[in-house]
Formats: sequence, C-alpha cells, structure tokens
Amino acid sequence: MKSKLKLDKVNHPDQIISYFKLEKFPLLLVTLSGLIYNFGMTAGPYFEGQLAQRLYDIMKGRKSLSDMLSLVFIYLIIIGIVQFMRYIKRFYVRRFANNTSRNMRHMLYNSLVHQTKEELEGESVGAIMTKAVSDVDACVEGMRKFTTEVFDTGIVLFAYFAMLLYYDYRLTLIACIFTPIAYFIASKLKKVVMNYTLKYKTIAGKLNDATMDNVTNAMTYRIYGCEEERIQSYEKQLKDYEKASVLANIWENTMQPIYNIISMIGVIFIIYFGAKNVIGTGWTTWNIAAFATFFSCFTKLAYKSSKAAKLFNSVQKAKVSWTRIKPFMKDYIEINKNTNFDHKIIDSLTLSHLSFSYSNVGPFFEDLSMTMLPGEIIGVTGPVASGKSSFGKIFLCEQPYSGSVKIGPYELSTLTDYERSLIITYMGHQPELMSDTIKENIQLGEDQSILSVLSLVCMEEDILSMPDGILTDVGNSGTRLSGGQQSRTALARALYHGKQIIILDDPFSAIDKKTEQKIMENLRIIGKDKIIILISHRLGIFPQLDQMIWLDGEHTQIGNHETQMHTNPNYALLYKMQTLGGDENEAS
Amino acid sequence: MKHHSEIKSIAIILLKKEKLLTLTLGITIIGSILFSVFPPLVLKKIVNCFSSGQTVLLSLALTYFALIIFVGIFDAAKEVMITKYGQKITHEVRSVMYKKLSRLPSGYFIDHEAGTITSRMVNDVDTIDALFSNGIISMIVDSGKVLAIIIVIFSLSTGLGFIILFITPILFLLTRYFQKRMLKAQLENRIAIGKVNNHVPETIKNIRMIHSFAKENYMEKKYDSYIEGSYHALEKSNFCDSIYSPIIVFISAIVISILMVFSSMGGEMQTFFGMDLGSAVAIIAYVGKVFDPLESIGMEIQNIQSALAGIKRINEFLHEPEKNAQEETMNITAFTNSSESDIRFDQVDFSYSNLVPVVEYLSFQVSSGEMVTFVGRTGAGKSTVFRLILGMYEPQKGSITICGNKASLIPDKLKRKLFGYVEQSFPMVLGTIAQQISLFDPSISDEQIIEAAKLVGMHEHILALEKGYETMANMNLFSQGQFQLLSIARAVVAEPKIMLLDEITANLDSSTEQAVVAALLRASKNRTVLSISHRMYEQTTKGKLITL
Repeated sequence: MKSKLKLDKVNHPDQIISYFKLEKFPLLLVTLSGLIYNFGMTAGPYFEGQLAQRLYDIMKGRKSLSDMLSLVFIYLIIIGIVQFMRYIKRFYVRRFANNTSRNMRHMLYNSLVHQTKEELEGESVGAIMTKAVSDVDACVEGMRKFTTEVFDTGIVLFAYFAMLLYYDYRLTLIACIFTPIAYFIASKLKKVVMNYTLKYKTIAGKLNDATMDNVTNAMTYRIYGCEEERIQSYEKQLKDYEKASVLANIWENTMQPIYNIISMIGVIFIIYFGAKNVIGTGWTTWNIAAFATFFSCFTKLAYKSSKAAKLFNSVQKAKVSWTRIKPFMKDYIEINKNTNFDHKIIDSLTLSHLSFSYSNVGPFFEDLSMTMLPGEIIGVTGPVASGKSSFGKIFLCEQPYSGSVKIGPYELSTLTDYERSLIITYMGHQPELMSDTIKENIQLGEDQSILSVLSLVCMEEDILSMPDGILTDVGNSGTRLSGGQQSRTALARALYHGKQIIILDDPFSAIDKKTEQKIMENLRIIGKDKIIILISHRLGIFPQLDQMIWLDGEHTQIGNHETQMHTNPNYALLYKMQTLGGDENEAS
Repeated sequence: MKHHSEIKSIAIILLKKEKLLTLTLGITIIGSILFSVFPPLVLKKIVNCFSSGQTVLLSLALTYFALIIFVGIFDAAKEVMITKYGQKITHEVRSVMYKKLSRLPSGYFIDHEAGTITSRMVNDVDTIDALFSNGIISMIVDSGKVLAIIIVIFSLSTGLGFIILFITPILFLLTRYFQKRMLKAQLENRIAIGKVNNHVPETIKNIRMIHSFAKENYMEKKYDSYIEGSYHALEKSNFCDSIYSPIIVFISAIVISILMVFSSMGGEMQTFFGMDLGSAVAIIAYVGKVFDPLESIGMEIQNIQSALAGIKRINEFLHEPEKNAQEETMNITAFTNSSESDIRFDQVDFSYSNLVPVVEYLSFQVSSGEMVTFVGRTGAGKSTVFRLILGMYEPQKGSITICGNKASLIPDKLKRKLFGYVEQSFPMVLGTIAQQISLFDPSISDEQIIEAAKLVGMHEHILALEKGYETMANMNLFSQGQFQLLSIARAVVAEPKIMLLDEITANLDSSTEQAVVAALLRASKNRTVLSISHRMYEQTTKGKLITL
C-alpha cells in the first residue's frame, strides 16, 4: 500500500482561506462555469415562453413549422451548453471539496500523531481530536455548499430578479414584496424551531446513552433483580423521545410550506395584472411569451429563495466545526533526523541517584544507582503499585526524573525523541496492536522477514493454525487473537525493531510457564550485545537473571536473585508463594 | 431461514390499533397526490382565457393561489403523519427489543459486544423509520404522482401521453443506473472512511508505541493511503452525481421540443397531439414535474434495500433463543425459613460450549454464616462457580441449590435479597451516586443508601462532592478503590443473605486494599461469604478453602 498522494503544503493551516487558495484551479473552473450556467438559467423560462408564443403564432397561421424547428434547434443548443456548464460546475465544486477534505485531514492527523501521550490523555484531547476529525466532514460540506450556493442562489436570484424587472418593474416589485416578509417571519420563528430541534437532539442523546447503559450493564441489572424497573424507565424514555421527535418534526416540516405560501402570494398579482398586460390593458404590453417567461421565472425565484436559508445554515455549521478543528491546525511537523548521535559507542547503561515520582504520588524509588552491561538481562519487580511500570517509562521521558541515567556517554534526558528511538526499544504493558495483519503489526512498514522473531517468541505453531498465517487480521486492538498471542505479537515487534536497550514491561502476561521459559532462553541468544530490562511480577524466571531491582519504596534493593533471597524477606516470601503454590496469581 | 417477521406483525398491529391515525395518513397522502397535479390545469385555463382575448378573472388567480396553499398544507400534513407513524413503530420495536433483552440467556452477553447490541437497538431501528417514511410511504406517494401526471398529460394530449409513457421507464432505468453506480462508490467510500476514522482512536490508543518506535511517518503514510481510498471512491461518485441532473434537464428539454414540433405540424399530427396554447404551457410545467418523483422513487428503492438488512438483523435478534423460565411464584420466605444448606453443589459438570469442561464433578456445601474462599489457577472456573450460584447458567449435570431451591429457577427479582455480588471492577451505571448504590430500586430508601455508604466508609467522600449523593457518576470522581467500596455498598444495601466476592482487591494498591478489606469484613458480618481472593483468606482466621 504505497501512497500515491501528492499533498500540497498548506501554509497557514489555521486560516480557512488557505484551503481555498490551494484549490485555485478547480475554483476558477467553478467560477467560470457557474457564471455561465446561472445566467444561462434564465434561458429556460425565456425559451419556454418563446416556444409557447411560436406555437400560438403557428396556430394563428402567422408562422410556419420551419420557424418552430429553428427555434427548437436553438433552444436545445442553449440548454445543452447551459447544462454542460452545470455539469462542469458541479463536478469541480465536488473535486474542490474532496481535495480540501483530504488536505485538512492530512494536516489534522499530522498534528495528532505528534501529540504526546500525556497531552492525549489529559483534558480528553483524544476525544476532542476524534471529534475534530469528523468535524472535517461538516466543515468541508459547509465550504462546498457555500461555494455552490454563491452561484446557485446568489447569482441566480440576481439574474431572475433582473429579468423580471426587465419585463415589468412595477409588477415585479409588487410580486416580490412577499419574499422578504417570508424571510422576516422565518428569522423570527427560527429560534422556536431550533429550540424544538435542540430539545429533540438532547432527548435522542439521552435515549442512546440509556440504551447503551441498559445493554452494557444488562448482567448487573439482572443479577441485582432490577430488570423490571429498567424496562419501565426505558419505556418512559421511549415515550419522551417519540413526543419530542414528532414535535420537532412538526415545526420543521410545517415552516417550509408556510414560507413558500407567503412568497407565492405574488402569483395572484402576476396572473391578474400579467393577463391585463397581455390583453393590452396593463402597465406594459406583453405577448404570451412574456407572460409565460415571467410566470415561470417568478415560480423559480420563489422556490430558490426558500432554499437560501439552507445556505446560511450550512455556513453556520461549517463555522462551528471549523472553530473546533482550528486549534489543531498547526504547521506541518516533520521529524528532524539530523543527528550527530552515534549509537555504536554505547557500552553501558548507568543509573546514579535516580529518583522518580509523579507530581501527586510520593516517590516510588529514590537514590537508585547501578550499572548494566550489554548481554545482561535485568529483572525489575516489587509489590503491586510499587512503580515497576513507572521505572520502565523513565526511558520514554514522559515524566522528568531526578538523578542521572547515562547511556554510554549520553544523558538520557538530553536525547531527542528520534535519537532515543535509535537506541531504546520499549514494549509497554498494553500490547498496543493495530487493526491490521500480524505481519504489518510487527514490521510497521519495514521489509525484513518476520519469521525469525516469530520463532523467538514461539509463535510459529499459532501462526500455522491460522488460515491466513502471518496475514491474519488481528482485529480491533488485537481482539481476534488470544491474550497470549497478543502479548507475543507485541514482543515479536519489540524484538524485530530491537535496539541496544530493550525494555519489556510484563511481556509474559497470559503466556504459560513452559513457553515463558523458552522465550527466556531465546532472549539470551539475541541479547548478547543488548541490555534487556525485564519488568514482571511473575518471578519464576528470576533466578536466571543477571541482576534484579526490587522496588518497594524505602525497602528498594538491588542484587541478584540469590542475594535477595537472603537479604530481602519480602521478595523471598513472594517468590516462595508463587513457585510453591503453583498459582500464577494473575493479579498485577 | 424463513423467519416469520416480527417487524411486520408489529406494523400490522399498529395499523389496526391506530385507526384514526391510519385514516388521516391515507387522506393526506391522497390529498398531496391530487393537489400536486391541479395547479397547471388552472394555469391552462388562465392562458386559454387571455389567448382568446378575455380578461382573466381575479377568482381564477385566487383559485391558483388556493391550490398552492393546499399543496403546501397537504405536503406538510403528510410529512407529519408519516413521522408520527414512523415514531410509533420505532417506539414499539424498541420496547419489544428491550423486553426481549431481559429474556436472553446470560451467555448472549458474553458472545455479543454491548456496542453491537446497542447498534441493533439504535441504528437498525432507525432504519425501520427510514424504511417506513423515506421508503414505502414516499414510494406510494411518488408513484401516485407519476401516475396522476401521466393521466393528466394523456387527457391534455394523447400523443404526448404516449411519448411520456414510452420514456418514463427508460428514464427510470437510467436513474437507477446512476443511483446504483453512486451507491457502489459511496459504499467504497464508507469503508475507506471507516478505516480513516478508526485510524484516529487507534493512533491515540497506541501513541506510546508510535513515539517510542518513531513510527509517526509510517502512521501518517498509512492514514494518507486510507484517505486516498476515500478520495478515489468519492471522485467516482462525484462524476455520476454531477452529470445526472444535467442529463435529466436536457432530456426534458428534448421532450418539450418534440411536443412543440409535433403540435406545429398541423393536420392529423395536431389532432393526435391535440394541443391548444393553454395545454402547451401546462404541459411544459408537467414535463418538469414528472422527473422529480421518478428520481425519488429510485432513492426510495435504495432506502428500502438498505433498510432490509437492518430489519433482517432485528428479526434475527427477536428470534434468539430465550433463557429458561424461572419460578416466578417463588417467595423470599423459601430462603429465609429454609433449614437446608445455603449453597449446595452436587456432582456438578459444566462447560460453556460443550467442548472444554470448566467444572467437573464439583460437590461442596456452604452453611449459613460460613466463610469460604476459592483458590485455583487462572481458568480453573472460580468465577464460573459464582455465575452458576447466581443462576446465570444451568449445569449440564448435577444440581445446584440455594437453600434447597434450584439456582436457575430462582426469579431475578428475588436475587438482590439473596446475593451481594461484588466484581473485580465496578460496573458503573448511568445515574447519580445514590443510584449507583440503589440501582434505581424504588424500595431502597435514601436512609438505607446513606447507611450503606457509611458502612463502607464512602459517606464523607460523597458529601465532599458539590452535589453530594445527587452528583452524576463519572470515572473521574473517585479512585478505583473507592469505586470498589461503592460496589460493596451496592451489594449490601439490600441486606443480602449471601456475599459473593470475586477478586475484588486484584487491581488495588495496598493502602486502598486495606480499606476495602476492612469494609468487606464489616459488610460480611452475619452473612454467608464466598470469595475468590487470597487476601480475604489471609485477613480472616476462620473459614475454609476450596481448591478448584
């Protein structure tokens, strides 16, 4: 799946005009064809009038069939051109929208993918961004409608009105006075309609929440014997919803015809005075063509103007969506890959006086000092909530630490995100799988074969049993795989991209002990020139590790399994409980 | 798979029950069809009037306007009636579905995600509304309009009537062709957009991995390739969308031209096309009108097709096998006055799918007031034993009795008095803090709620909230441990006879764990307690261990 997209660079992505500027060519075509089409729109009524007139003349014997043929010929050509222009206009307006939506999404995603975990979790930025992406649709839809309606409503209304004035300005002014009245009433009633719609939407939202709640907690309600009451309360909500929806609908549906009726009052005058014009007792002299043209022009004007409100609505909606998107529209970020950083000179990892705490929770550990060398596997464990995972996350630099972490000659906190990715591989507590194939989840766009890492994590047999093999789709968040398969896929990915320092947080969750032991042996083989930090609450394999850190507040200790079994009673107790009881103690 | 359709019978029952509504709906439909064809006829009269040199009467102008008013009124009334009817049906269907939900066996909720079931009840039911309003009824109205216009055209001009009769099906096929192509492109687009939209939460979820592997570029490329899929699909649909309506307008211009030419030919042709000037003007108006309902019918066919899938899913849902009947007449006294053991398992075999036995030959009994802890490795069936006690499943072999009554026969409404079930995580419901504890049970008083909160030590924390017990619950209000305490309050507030505690301290840090265990010990007084937890066992000296 190579992307063929050529995306233009968006300057000032936080200004909506930038997106219009990017699409100069389609917009130029839209303008040209839009002008021709909309002025040409008057051709329809004009020719219809002329046709009727010619028919009348033929019946009276004043014109012949050939006159009709030539008129029909011109009529068809003009309509053909006008409609072709209409096609051009419609097509390029849509292309403009399509391009813009693509550009906006592209910019928005770039901004998203460079947000930090903390930013995404805090203040529910994640949810807001998810919403912003769907706002792009509404915003672009508004931009499209605006572009379309500038021509289809603005210009066409103007053209019709000019034509009417040309035929009979007095009659035009009388007939058209009712349209502004309709507008005025519409704007007054709009609030009422909006209120009902809003009420309906609120109730609809509530009903959806209630449905979700009733389904999600169905078992809870059943076990607690509350189903009867829930059915009644749901029934009440359904009733409210039905009422609100009908009310909102009545307001919305009855308003439109009323506006139409008011603006059509003009028709009475047109028929009455127009007929006078034709007979020759009116303000001006009309033939039948003039009457037919005037009549059909007015009907179309009234119809078009009743749609004008929609233009304002869609612009309004676009504005609302845009204000939600705007904060995320930042200049395009590209990772700076220029670096003098040399990862070949890394010979050790040294912690000195390392302390770590969250702002609100007291220090997890203080004054930790030790040196790790390539080829070593270092275990990290401790009681629940002792900061095991936080220890691993130090290497992600999501939170500041105090003390020092030296990677070869470099201090960890001075490295850029990119430099860190060259030397450190981190596998988190969550498998973090994407809904794609196993292969893609491991490779993440690289080309090298994944077979060797699959065998390292003992997943070959699992893969063989899957009909699609390594091309099996893992499903949303990996849910189509078993828990053990998920964590092994994540481990395989970490090893595939494995750098000199590998941090594995709880890599063996949901994996049985035999497999765990085998993977452990494989880690030894590939870990000859690497430093592997293994965070786990399962202690069965700890005797095989080179060093271990027991995190436990002030009882924190460093030393290998042997020594800690003697000096650290808490560790010894936990180890015995796990190995003797035969219980895997899945809690963590 | 020939199911009898529940939806259909619901609709028919409603049709019979709401006689007045049905009648009004019928009248508005007929009215809106009839009135849509009248105005051009009046126009014809007007034109003929002055083409023969007569003055047009004001009454004729007023008649024309009055007709426009009627068209508006009937159209609006029709829409309102359709909405009303559609809402009645969806209300009834949702109601029936929710009642069905309460009769489904527990296993259903494990096999089916909550999101999917909710989508049945929300989105699929909405398609019924769409089927009804934008589908069947609109189609009746639009077909009626096409028919009425064709009849009127015939009456005005036999020749043109034949022409229209000839091109209507062709136009309809053309419309369907474009609509099908657009639908296909739109489906492609929807799939692509689904991927585009899914990629965003997925990125948010996996952001740590993306950053630590420095795969921002990779993720962007992937996103762009999804956008490209949507772009191309849309481009296809854009072509059809933009060319369709210009083609139709051009065709109607051709029809008008043919009419005009034939009418001008004189002789037999003219008698066949039978045209006076008024008819010519009126027909120009009709030719434009016949295309709109034709296009709508095409859309309606599409709506009906897409709604059918939703209806099929709803019918399937309504035909799901239901759980076994319970003994609704059973009374709480059957438990309070029983001399039997509280819980007795006798030679129980159980498996979820009949493949892997989860529980085999299990026998044990627990007497009133006893404290029992279950231990065993993951997957040994500890939680399953609880589910069996709660009567959520029936064993394949052996018997399970609660105070001498068969567990699966105990009616749900008695269960809250019998069991206080506390799970590993707190299932939050949509409601206030007080409702978290009462679970909307009207028989539980405010005093009881406060007492339960006090027992677990949450009373002060709740009062510290701005609206106290009336605060709407959300995940940020309390810590996980505090929610666990609420969960215990929810269990004890109805004074159950038996407490079932499933790994309730598993996800807690040690200081909160102390609070939870202490609350549990208070809550367990004078009760039979079954727990799955090492910690509970360590904290209490009495009680027995059952290893699975």
